[in-house]
Amino acid sequence: MMFLIFNIYAIKSIKMKTIKCYFYAILFLIPFTVSAQDLSCVVGDIRKANTENEYVQVRNQLERLCIVNPKEWLAHYYLAYTDVQLSFRVASKEEKMKYINDAQTNLKKLSDMSEADMSEVYTLKGFRLYALIASDPQSNGPKYFGEITLSYEKALGVNPNNPRAIMLSALFKNDMAKFMNKSYENFNQDMEKAATLFAGESTTALTPSWGKEWLDRALINN
Amino acid sequence: MRRISTFIALLLIGIVSVFAQQRAIEGKVLDERSKPIEHANIFIKGTTEGTSSDTEGHFSLVTNQRGDIVLCVLMLGYSEFTITVSEKQSAPLLIKMRPDNVTLDDVVVVAGNFKLKGESQWGGMSAVDIATTAGSSGDLYRSLQTLPGAQMVGESGKLYVRGGESRESQTYIDEMHVLSPYTTTGSNEPVRGRYSPFMFEGINFSTGGYSSEYAQGLSSVLPLTTKDSSPISKMGINPSFVGLAGGGTKAFSKSSVSMNLDYENLGPYNSVFPDNLDWIKPYQIFSGESQIRFNTDENTVYKTYVGYDRTSFAYHTNPLLENSLRDLNLKENNLYINSTFHRKTESGYKFFAGGAFSFKKQQISDAKVSGDSFRDKEWELHLKTKATKRFTNFLRLNVGVENFFRHYQMAYADSSSVHKSSINHSISALFATATLNITVNLSAELSSRAEYTSINSSWNYAPRLALSYNLNGVHFSGTVGKYSQLPENKYLLLNQGLSPENCIHYIGGIYHEKKNKVYRLEAYYKKYTDLALQNSDVLNSEGYGYSKGVDLFFNDRALFKNFEYMLAYSFNLSKRKYQEYTELAVPQFSTKHNATFSLKYNIPSLKTIWGITNRYASGRPYYDPAKEGLMNSTTKCFNSLDMSLTYLASKKVIIYASASNLLGRKNVYNYTFTKDTSGPGGYRGTPVSASSDHFFYVGIFITLSGKTAYDVSNF
Repeated sequence: MMFLIFNIYAIKSIKMKTIKCYFYAILFLIPFTVSAQDLSCVVGDIRKANTENEYVQVRNQLERLCIVNPKEWLAHYYLAYTDVQLSFRVASKEEKMKYINDAQTNLKKLSDMSEADMSEVYTLKGFRLYALIASDPQSNGPKYFGEITLSYEKALGVNPNNPRAIMLSALFKNDMAKFMNKSYENFNQDMEKAATLFAGESTTALTPSWGKEWLDRALINN
Repeated sequence: MRRISTFIALLLIGIVSVFAQQRAIEGKVLDERSKPIEHANIFIKGTTEGTSSDTEGHFSLVTNQRGDIVLCVLMLGYSEFTITVSEKQSAPLLIKMRPDNVTLDDVVVVAGNFKLKGESQWGGMSAVDIATTAGSSGDLYRSLQTLPGAQMVGESGKLYVRGGESRESQTYIDEMHVLSPYTTTGSNEPVRGRYSPFMFEGINFSTGGYSSEYAQGLSSVLPLTTKDSSPISKMGINPSFVGLAGGGTKAFSKSSVSMNLDYENLGPYNSVFPDNLDWIKPYQIFSGESQIRFNTDENTVYKTYVGYDRTSFAYHTNPLLENSLRDLNLKENNLYINSTFHRKTESGYKFFAGGAFSFKKQQISDAKVSGDSFRDKEWELHLKTKATKRFTNFLRLNVGVENFFRHYQMAYADSSSVHKSSINHSISALFATATLNITVNLSAELSSRAEYTSINSSWNYAPRLALSYNLNGVHFSGTVGKYSQLPENKYLLLNQGLSPENCIHYIGGIYHEKKNKVYRLEAYYKKYTDLALQNSDVLNSEGYGYSKGVDLFFNDRALFKNFEYMLAYSFNLSKRKYQEYTELAVPQFSTKHNATFSLKYNIPSLKTIWGITNRYASGRPYYDPAKEGLMNSTTKCFNSLDMSLTYLASKKVIIYASASNLLGRKNVYNYTFTKDTSGPGGYRGTPVSASSDHFFYVGIFITLSGKTAYDVSNF
């Protein structure tokens, strides 16, 4: 803070006409003094993250952002998303459950935030349940099947053009059909629609735009 | 130009000052066992300035902040750690994290305890697992009988645990007592549980050393937990060899209603697979159950469950001991209502309040002799409230009060007399449990129960201490606890001054779980005192006895993919002088050796789960009047090889089939004797065995609603 005080004293010694100029100078300095970890930087890091360590780093940044700004829905949203991603990357079931449970805590908070995009929240709820099933398919598959389907349906009810909800719903339905030695008949149609919608999404905005890599992978595997 | 120069100069000074006044805070983050924690989140409180610890737990946080700063450390599974760091601090910080409340509360003292559902580390058995355990026939209690500690009493079907009678095992639903958890059947026909395992989210089976919160059980408790919410609307039906069931759930935004109706009639089954009973009216049971759940917010849950069932059957009977044929005819009505309220406050208190009403009315004609009539009616009202809070990392307290109001009446009439009798009484209790996390590896649970029984105007005090020590993943535990229970109604009707029966449990155990393998060994000694004793015409509380033994358990889910097997063995020595046993003798239900081998193989390509279970029990003692002493003979051993098959026919259809005692062994549980001068010693013995050597079941579970698949639970 010393350098800020120094700047303020300096400003006082200069004519008032120039205050505006120095005010902008201080504003210019703020990014250096407060933090470089604003949400847009973190979101950029999330989009680049791939390994467990990379996700942990962004998770910790998001956790700090959630504490400083508890009403910022996007911070909680991305924290829950990062938790889910981490649950896929850690080995032990105990660790997986810690992340999956923390994602649930943040999703509950999102349910009470009026500005949250509920289509994205429901999609993430479904994605979290998918992680829960992936952690123990035999026990959790029958238990959460209905809930995951319902989450994607709710997401599409709010926004029928949510590419993540369309894609994850199609992937899940296809997985279930494969389990019965069948295939989901609208799979290609849904994936094409999701691909079109993904193409139209901004990759620089703060709003959720993840998921295209899942679609690309699924199209390769199919 | 001059102004611009001034601006640039100030800017440079500002930037230089930023770097000139930076300081680094360094340190290491350790867990409760002094092992480094990787990925801990270290930051300056109130800011987003922070860093993460590396694989060695080291961190270095560079900041411009001057003076004292509050450093905060977060890590999932650990309590928040804060420390004020002065500007003069130069030595690296050593930060030791402690497990958070959730993690601490998971460190349960596990002696005698089997958690079968939920996120337990001791097992992951789901309702589907229970249903697919061969030999269980989808019945919760039969499935539990494959675990160590449970004894095989084939003609009963009820739980007999560690040398204790079935009445010494108590069932709780959502923490409220269930007076009559079993269905009623004919003579030597194993009963089933009244409640479907698919109703329950959590199943805990404690074979001893349980919390003092649980009342009126000398041997074991089975606390069952229903779902707090059921977010999916669904419907399903279940036609089977023996009946038809169906129901569903309607989910709302903050509540849900579930209902299930079930009708079973063994008439068609008996016509295909006849047993040795001469049926007049086949065994029939109609049951209906419903549950309403309200989740007013994420911390509050109201649940109300109502279950009703009606059982009826009649058969001709002509036992060897009787001269005349009689037509035993039974009708029974059973009602259970359970309403509970849970609330978790922001300050960390958990409040619970509940009420449960159990009612059972039974009417039997030709019960003992032709023309007689036996009626009994029993009800219980259980009220309970408690509060729980973790005050510190060291201490968690649970305090509550409860009342049981009980009524029992019976009437027996034969051609020459009418006998009626009834009792009304209550049990009031105060219980408290303190969980102490003494060190990160050592925890203790101290609990006590003070109980007043109105029927004999007596106070009873039951303390309990349980210790658990974790040595590198190997859990050692020891429990000493006193438990009490009022004598059976039939004795209380005769003498209301009988003392509560007491039993002290001493249990020591070792548990280990690694890589999908669970190892468990427990030794126990139970000392019974104040048991009801019928000595000639005197009924008093001078009975006593003991039960001791060892339980072994091994479960392996790692041998190869989709394959699981389990070995359970129990050794028990039990003797009692009680009831009609006028000298210390092995009770008729007791078996020295019990062993179960169970395997399950899931074949995804065939969409099937195969289950095989073999249950063995050594011979049961019985009294041969031609010989000296009580319980002077032993039956041959029990063995049953059971099999089950679960087939996922389509996304919404499951076919389940099971068969018990495939080898057709004639299992004998006891002998009854009649005077016969042509027999050895003047008596003729008749073996007591099940009315049927086998039981076959085929059921189809059909999910009717659109959003669910292979979901056999309508709740």
